[in-house]
Amino acid sequence: MQRRYRTLPELKAHESAQAVSFTDPELACKLTAMGVLPGAMIEMVRKAPFGDAFYVKVDGVRLALRTEEAEQILLTV
Amino acid sequence: MNKDAQQLQPLKVGLVGNPNSGKSTVFNQLTGLRQKTGNFPGVTVEIKEGSFTLPKGRRVSLVDFPGAYSLYPTSSDEKVLAEVLTHTTDPHFPDVLVYIADVTHLEKHLLLFTQILDLQIPAILALNMIDLAAAEGIKITVQPLAAKLGVPVVLVNGRTGENIAQLSAVIEQMESISPVLTKPFYKFSDDETSVSDAIKHNFGISNAYRALLLAHHKDWLPFLNSAEKAILGTITETKQFQSLRAQVEETLSRFDRFTPIVQEAIQHPPVFPTTTTDRIDAVLTHRVAGPFIFVGVMMLVFSCIFYGYEITGGWVEGLMGWLIEKAEAAVAPLQIAWLTDFITKGILEGLKGVLVFVPQVALLSFLIAMLEESGYLTRVVFMFDKMMRRFGMNGRSIVALIGGGACAVPAIKGTRTIGNWKERIITIMVTPFISCSARIPVYMVLIPIALPRAGWWIWAQVFGAMYVLGVVTALASGWVLNKILKTREASFLTLQMPVYRVPHWKNVWLTVMDKVKSFVAGVWKPILIITSALWFLSSFGPGDIAEKAKNSASMDITAGVRTDADRGDLEASYKLEYSWAGKVGKFIEPAIRPLGYDWKIGIGILSSFLAREVFNSTMYVIYSLESVGKKEESAAGDEKPFERYATLKDRMMNDRFRDTDQRIYTTATGLSLLVFYALAMQCMSTLVVVKQETGRWRWAILQFLVMGIMAYLFAWVTFLVAS
Repeated sequence: MQRRYRTLPELKAHESAQAVSFTDPELACKLTAMGVLPGAMIEMVRKAPFGDAFYVKVDGVRLALRTEEAEQILLTV
Repeated sequence: MNKDAQQLQPLKVGLVGNPNSGKSTVFNQLTGLRQKTGNFPGVTVEIKEGSFTLPKGRRVSLVDFPGAYSLYPTSSDEKVLAEVLTHTTDPHFPDVLVYIADVTHLEKHLLLFTQILDLQIPAILALNMIDLAAAEGIKITVQPLAAKLGVPVVLVNGRTGENIAQLSAVIEQMESISPVLTKPFYKFSDDETSVSDAIKHNFGISNAYRALLLAHHKDWLPFLNSAEKAILGTITETKQFQSLRAQVEETLSRFDRFTPIVQEAIQHPPVFPTTTTDRIDAVLTHRVAGPFIFVGVMMLVFSCIFYGYEITGGWVEGLMGWLIEKAEAAVAPLQIAWLTDFITKGILEGLKGVLVFVPQVALLSFLIAMLEESGYLTRVVFMFDKMMRRFGMNGRSIVALIGGGACAVPAIKGTRTIGNWKERIITIMVTPFISCSARIPVYMVLIPIALPRAGWWIWAQVFGAMYVLGVVTALASGWVLNKILKTREASFLTLQMPVYRVPHWKNVWLTVMDKVKSFVAGVWKPILIITSALWFLSSFGPGDIAEKAKNSASMDITAGVRTDADRGDLEASYKLEYSWAGKVGKFIEPAIRPLGYDWKIGIGILSSFLAREVFNSTMYVIYSLESVGKKEESAAGDEKPFERYATLKDRMMNDRFRDTDQRIYTTATGLSLLVFYALAMQCMSTLVVVKQETGRWRWAILQFLVMGIMAYLFAWVTFLVAS
């Protein structure tokens, strides 16, 4: 069976996908307040030098996220 | 209150906006030098207050609130705003709010603004960064925003000061403008309405949104008493109110409503182009190159501070020498020896203790402000988040730790950029472990004493090892503190990385001024008290110690142990031995004997409190080499650093314990003393700054005790192992 969602860390560099929802409610609060809404296109820019953090772009805004935060972001396949 | 009375009160204006909206730049444009930084009561969040005058003469007291995305806070910075705006009797509660929004990302910056609208606080929308918008080809029409949001809208450029005067004029008109928007911006769900109504009824609150916010924040709002919390608890429970879900729903609904308004007002070019920032980040945050570039930048910062210390330290020495000369000349006619001594060695020593750090604080604040303003520090946090988090710190802590390699005082002053309370406290607590410049002269004396037969090559290795010891203990202590300290603050990284910009000179300048002013204001008193106390301890003792010292010196000379040429040095040495400081040294000797130290080292440790390098000058006095010491130190050549203090070294190495007649300075004692100096908290200036930055003596005292105990234990173990 095909998976319906993937999470942000699965994106390759310069790959984009649409955000569907956020699994952790507290993080959802933070992300939506920052304007990262379900439906937004998220582009993976690069991984941090020592891993464990991601540099992404959402509507021209640059964000840094930890892996455990990025894993809460569900994306379209 | 009538109209005249109101005129006497300054108008309270709050500056609000998302992080990276350029709020501080606007604040600096409005207030200039008329600003001060304080701590928000109860929390370590920094709050800036300033004042300025409106065109028609009304005074304004302006508060720069910490940047926030929403009234649903996720950090202690954001909590401050939610706390003040839900508490109408708070001293910081504003008459008018100026909301600063980054016009290049307006579609993301209006959430908090619409929340403020619903609190019915008179507000002005200031669209900032119009220069960037023009450069990116963004077209702005103000009219739809003003009409649909019902507020005055001003286009400003914080960096150039463009339209700041117009913003002032609009603030002035605000008192006569009544809000246009009569209906709330956000329409409550049925649940929210019933919760809000119940709270309005029970608490006598007229604004529905303020009532709802009490329900959301009942657990942490500090102005609520336990009875009020209980009522709020009952209301939210009976209505089955789910705070987190309601917050997300509300946020999404607000975005749904203001996004079309923004789209009407702002025309973006169709795609987001790859900008200079992307190109810079491709290099600076590169997986391999990024960390190397960072190491380079930090080496530059370190060199600036290190050589800055050498150069400006010389200036301060020169200035102090001149001042001492002037002071002596001024006081000499009075013929009071102790007064001259007190002024030159007590008060002026204290002044030096403050002055010597001013260039340091200015320089490091300048460098950090440049890194922060340019946008680079945010990238540092991104790159080193994982590495530093293991030790309870933050990417920004690295800057403090490296600055600590020069001097802990400016480094600790610089930790304000660390937003998270716990990460900041840990950084402040561990930074003094890093070997600072003041330890270098002490290491230079002690290393050859500890390893007399080793060559300079080994000495240099040991010298390097002292730095490693500092770094390892700092990180290990961070790791331990991370386990011990608890914080209720959720730790998120999720942070926005601003576009790179050339640092704005005015912001950098005002930051440096602010740091220097607050440093001097906070430290001069305690430092003066401590230097005066230390002066007293080493100048007085039971009985007439000058007379006793004179007699002892004469006896030595008559006995033929020393020649008459040494008389002055001998008297100084005996005077110190007979003083209270000497008594203290002898009193603590049993306690430090297990580490291999005698009472003379006790005095040295005590006097190091002024600054660690004072250990050397104290040793010169104790070993009756005062006159030699001055020559040796001033003639110091850089070519052979380890031989700089040769005479002192020889005299120290020949010294023996009076009771056992064994040598005091064995390899074991030397190494143990090195470890002690690496780990002990012996710097009063650092302690005072720690108190200043954490707001409590508690942290400074804890740091002093913990570092002292660690130094003692490690020095003891070193002594045991080495013997």
